[in-house]
Amino acid sequence: MPRRILVIDDEEAIREVTQVTLETFAGWIITTASSGREGIARAAQDPPDAILLDVMMPDMDGPSTFKELCQNPATRHIPVLFLTAKVQAADIEAFRNLGAKAVIAKPFDPMSLAHDVSKVLGWEPEAIQQVGGRR
Amino acid sequence: MRILMGGFSDDLGDWLKRRLDDVCVDPLADGNELRGALARGEASLLLLDHQWLGGKAMTLLEEIRSHPWGRELTVFYYLSQRADGSLTRKLVRELGVREVLLPPLDIHELAKKTSEALSLPLMPVKEDADPAIQSAIADVRNRFMGSILERVGVLERAGVGFLEGNLTRDLREKAEREAHKLSGLLGTLGFSAGSRFAAEIERLLRGGAHLSEAQALRFSELVVALRLDIEKIPVAAPALVPISEKRSSLLIVDRDMDLAERLEAEAGSRGFEVQTVEDLDAAREAVSRLPPDIVLLDLFFSGREDEGWALLEELSRRTPAIPTMVLTSRGEFTDRVEVARRGGRGFISKFSSPSQIIEAVTKLVDRLHATDARIMAVDDDPQVLALLRALLEPRQVSILTLDDPLQFWERFEAFAPHLLLLDVEMPHLSGVELCHVVRNDARWAGVPILFLTRHNDPETIHRVFSAGADDFVAKPIVGPELLTRIFNRLERVRLQRNISEIDPLTGALNRRKSSQILTDFIDLAQRHNQPFCLAIVDVEHLRKINDELGHASGDHVLETISRRFQNAFRSEDILARWNSDEFVVGMYGMSRYDGVERLRELLDNLHRETFEAPCGAEFRVTLNAGVAQYLEDGTTLDELHKAAEKALASARASGGGRIVAAGSETGSGRKSSRVDVTLVMSDEAQSSLLLHTLELRGYRTRWLRDGKTASKLLAGSRPALRSRVVVLDVDLPGLDGLAVLKKLAWDKVLGETRVIMLTAPSVANEAQTALELGAFDYVAKPFNPPVVVQHIRRAFGAF
Repeated sequence: MPRRILVIDDEEAIREVTQVTLETFAGWIITTASSGREGIARAAQDPPDAILLDVMMPDMDGPSTFKELCQNPATRHIPVLFLTAKVQAADIEAFRNLGAKAVIAKPFDPMSLAHDVSKVLGWEPEAIQQVGGRR
Repeated sequence: MRILMGGFSDDLGDWLKRRLDDVCVDPLADGNELRGALARGEASLLLLDHQWLGGKAMTLLEEIRSHPWGRELTVFYYLSQRADGSLTRKLVRELGVREVLLPPLDIHELAKKTSEALSLPLMPVKEDADPAIQSAIADVRNRFMGSILERVGVLERAGVGFLEGNLTRDLREKAEREAHKLSGLLGTLGFSAGSRFAAEIERLLRGGAHLSEAQALRFSELVVALRLDIEKIPVAAPALVPISEKRSSLLIVDRDMDLAERLEAEAGSRGFEVQTVEDLDAAREAVSRLPPDIVLLDLFFSGREDEGWALLEELSRRTPAIPTMVLTSRGEFTDRVEVARRGGRGFISKFSSPSQIIEAVTKLVDRLHATDARIMAVDDDPQVLALLRALLEPRQVSILTLDDPLQFWERFEAFAPHLLLLDVEMPHLSGVELCHVVRNDARWAGVPILFLTRHNDPETIHRVFSAGADDFVAKPIVGPELLTRIFNRLERVRLQRNISEIDPLTGALNRRKSSQILTDFIDLAQRHNQPFCLAIVDVEHLRKINDELGHASGDHVLETISRRFQNAFRSEDILARWNSDEFVVGMYGMSRYDGVERLRELLDNLHRETFEAPCGAEFRVTLNAGVAQYLEDGTTLDELHKAAEKALASARASGGGRIVAAGSETGSGRKSSRVDVTLVMSDEAQSSLLLHTLELRGYRTRWLRDGKTASKLLAGSRPALRSRVVVLDVDLPGLDGLAVLKKLAWDKVLGETRVIMLTAPSVANEAQTALELGAFDYVAKPFNPPVVVQHIRRAFGAF
């Protein structure tokens, strides 16, 4: 059974790139949501194995979405990786303190996203081999 | 080939492996591992991060250099902190570092330098990218291009808003959001330079509602660069289009056709585009059709002197003014003064040879092109620097050349150039690194940077533009091309500055710009404990003048005021127009009374001036002013402006061209606890004479008529009345002057208050006694008010 990842980002182009690169390189199944609200609903309905969560979104931002995910027993165990263009040490520290599994800097390289995500989550090492055949 | 890496992430190693064929990159765990590898002769290159091993990287390098196996090793050193000249020099000169890298680490630059150091070919970036992913991303890129460009449009609008000073909060916040999103998105879609531009734009926007002039300029340049990157206009294009040197156009106004012809030939041979006209109407038409860069005007061209003067004034009053060189058969001093007064830029005798005349015109053009521009050039080739000096020095440019990039930072900061010329390839510290450093310092982000390079391949051009270059000139240097590019850049910076800072009618600074400068001066006054004087000057009944005599008359008045003020000003004075009929004047280092005195002279002259309306009616104007002083009347621009405004209102109310100092407004009622001068004297007539003299000069005064009151208010550990100067009459009812002085000395008030005694000549040694008791000065009675004012000024000067 392939792993499933939910991508929550208000940026349609980012959702598409993330989907195509993770599906192609890692063979994971990707579902997407365009807002925090929609993401919470999807995650509760059909919990994924991990969530990639954009930080800056209108209405409900990444950290508030994350807090709500943590409050729901159905979703609180899901590892969450923040995606953010703010990568100052203090920000990363703040996200870590919230309980995020990792922070991935935007812009990310579509060629290495799968590699980075699998490293963080400790998933299938063979997926790394597939990443662009770099090593 | 083996690269050892001390203190970098594995990603950097991956990157180098991707860009360089057949290298292996090994991250080091500690110093021992490094020593071992070196001793076994396993390394070709060492990459060291200054922060590695808790900041001990440099100590380790020193040790390695002491061993035979470490002496020849090629080392790149990443100085992950703010540029420091002495550290950089130590690394290169003492520790033999080949390349110093500065933050932010430019991985493309690093790959390039590594390939050079190891003599390995550089691999294209995307060679190993999966074609399926590449095409999927290209597809996303194409489909979202429209929305991306729309967002860039928002940033462009914000850029215009900054330059014009009318950026709304909504637009700024929207632009910040879009910049943030773009910085996160563009890199993923393959626009890595665009992503960096957007991130820098976001940082600028996050800084707040106001950008400094350099930041606003940088902002607009970033937006342009962003669009260029996204629209993928080949980056080489702007640099490779040949620019022909623009010829200056000269209009000769002269009826002496023989002379005109010879001048025309001479000017043509020097590269001017020349046109000659014989009369006033033809001159006006030529100017309105296509304004020339410069006019050579024979003052008596029509045989009528007044026509010449009129044309001269018209030309200098245009916006922008057309610089005019006057040709005359007379050489009287008064003529020269008159030419200057009417805005002429130069003056030469008609009996000079045509070549001398055109020489003078050429010099004027050069002067106009680059007045006082400072250019700094950094190139390791002394011949190039000599050539640059030869090209630029004759053009009134002051140029600083530097052949050692290691001294860059200190020299750059001290010289503060308007434009920077950098060589791309230099040993140890490349132009690209220097460019990064400059661009990352907000103070210098707006300085235009031109690169000089032997290589004009797209890769190099892309490198320099991504680093933040503005333009690019290929070596060998072609003189005219380089000059054109330099002057274009300087001109653009000047224009952008002018558009956003200058009130087009009067040439005074606009409110936004002047607020910034005035605030800077107030800060300076605070730091250096100097006075700063802020005045508001208004034109009485300007609206009436506009209504009855036409707006042109009102405009003429404002222009004239602005010109007279600017002529009289020192470089540290500021003239700004804040409202239609109001000028704000800032005078650093001047107290209220100095300011009042200067304004009085200017206003008196303007009051005597006769203006002429287009209908021929003659009229005069009346100006009022309110003056406030830093510290005494307020500590911020806003407070000072309010104080000056209040004083101005009082001046207006009494009318008739008055200057009122803040705090001395008539009918202000409340008695201030801080004054400039306190007069302690019982004689009412004499007192009022002296007080009036002082008030006219802008001093804030207080009158006390007896010694007891004076002692009560001025003495004590916390005096109720603090006065900078006390003029103290010896003869006072009750407590006499010397007794008051003793009390003041006893209470240690004399440190912040200077006492001037008014002594009676009949009493021997009275003055001597007063000085011994601590008086600052004395004046013998009967006194003459201007003499007392002189002594008071001296007392103020001694603070």
